[in-house]
Amino acid sequence: MSDDPRFSDPRPPSDPDRPWNAWLPPDRADQGADRSAALPGPHIRSVGELTRLVRDRLRAAPDLRDVWVEGEIGQVSVSAAGHAYLTLKDAGAQLRCVIFRDERARIPFEPQTGLKVVVHGRIDVFEQQGAYQLYVDALQPSGFGDLALRLEAMKAKLAAEGLFESVRKRPLPEWPRTIGLATSETGAVFHDIVQVLRRRWPLVRVVFAPCLVQGDTAPATILGALRSLARWTDPADGRALDLLILARGGGSLEDLWPFNDERVVRAVAAFPRPVVVGVGHESDVTLVEFAADVRAATPSVAAELAVPSRDDQVVRITALRRRLETLAGAALAQRRARLDAERRALDGLRPSAVLAAERERLGYLLDRATEALTGRIAADRALLERLHTRSAMTITVGLQRARSSAAAARGGLNALSPFATLERGYAIVRRPDGSVVRAAATAAVGDPLDVRLAVGGLDVRVERVRDSRP
Amino acid sequence: MTEPQDVPPPLTEADLAAMPFDVALAEYQAVVSRLETGGLPLEASIALYERGVALDGHCSRLLADAELRVQRLVEASGGASPRLVDLDPGDSA
Repeated sequence: MSDDPRFSDPRPPSDPDRPWNAWLPPDRADQGADRSAALPGPHIRSVGELTRLVRDRLRAAPDLRDVWVEGEIGQVSVSAAGHAYLTLKDAGAQLRCVIFRDERARIPFEPQTGLKVVVHGRIDVFEQQGAYQLYVDALQPSGFGDLALRLEAMKAKLAAEGLFESVRKRPLPEWPRTIGLATSETGAVFHDIVQVLRRRWPLVRVVFAPCLVQGDTAPATILGALRSLARWTDPADGRALDLLILARGGGSLEDLWPFNDERVVRAVAAFPRPVVVGVGHESDVTLVEFAADVRAATPSVAAELAVPSRDDQVVRITALRRRLETLAGAALAQRRARLDAERRALDGLRPSAVLAAERERLGYLLDRATEALTGRIAADRALLERLHTRSAMTITVGLQRARSSAAAARGGLNALSPFATLERGYAIVRRPDGSVVRAAATAAVGDPLDVRLAVGGLDVRVERVRDSRP
Repeated sequence: MTEPQDVPPPLTEADLAAMPFDVALAEYQAVVSRLETGGLPLEASIALYERGVALDGHCSRLLADAELRVQRLVEASGGASPRLVDLDPGDSA
């Protein structure tokens, strides 16, 4: 025997003649391996029992169920089933970790020996090997910060509550009259949003509640702004806001963090009116965006989505006006013709005083309408010109301009409705390239032409050109 | 809209002034649809037409002349409801 205490004889050295098992409690000492459960004394467990006891203790510890740990990856191996086994270590300790196949597929990052990482998971016991291990469900390189991981965890939690469900999403009102705006009073975002609203739908009124959009105190000020806006009603008519825009410019994950704040996310989801959120650039994702009724890529886009387009409405009004004038013109022409016929008939019959008075009245109504019609046309033209100049000045985004002029062209085509003319027996003659043939001299014998009729069309070829100049 | 054979009363300036764009537009569309349906006495047609012209002018003026109104909520102390202060949208930056 050496002096190594691990190998020392447990028997007290004072009495070397005692039986080998004399150090056991007296009631067990003479019964050897007879471990009847009925007997008092120490409970001798099986390895499995003890292992399960340790397992249950570990599982019951709340601070081991939800663990963040940072360390360097040691050995990594991947089993045939696709699970990854690795050790995390630092200067003084090692931790066995398991990433099951499903989690590995979900984690966008492949663990490699030597990398410093932050992992999240739960501690549990692998009974067969008697080892406690961390069962990993999230893993990111260190230095990436744990914000991304916390974001994922918070997102999962709120999603599980149903806060992001699409059934919760409310449609935006088609014709908002008052828009609440919560954003910073410094910086470009407020200015950008006001610019877009002024260009696109200046009929709206903006109620602005400033808040901080960065830093630890930002969530409290955002909550304050949302509270004020939720409570606000117009003193004149008691109407509340029609919708809310919550916006912030782009920034790092840290900068945008107030928009991942649980309280802010919940306040957006609970806001009494529909909410459009435009935070950051296109690629930035924050949790408020999931809670919003409408998620816009940027603050300016949020403003675009919040209101109708003035250009579209100008087109709509113009189309309505054309329909109205066409209808009125047609009605008048019809009445005028009937009146003329009546007048001719009456002239032949030596009109009675009653009929003359009726005719007089109809004539008056017709004159009144005609006057209104011609007066309108001049006024409309002036107004349209004014609108046109104004739109051209205010529309600065090229894409927007292209889109609205396409819409205007479409609206104009519908409003002009050349095909209505076809009903009266006219036809439109086009060249194969679609251009309209207006003069015979521009066509040659043998040219293929397309004749559009009120119903259907004809493909024809020119036989002769009769060139009679006007 | 009014009953098919009714002559709608003329719209006064006050009627129009109280009409937001969306209400005027809906009314305008109803007027044109009614005229398109046809079968109206001349008086009704003309009254509808004049109504349409008035609504058209109102909508167009709203679109052309609207100025964006921006107001800032200013929290009052002691739980009073917040005040609104007009901001000049011209120097909103």
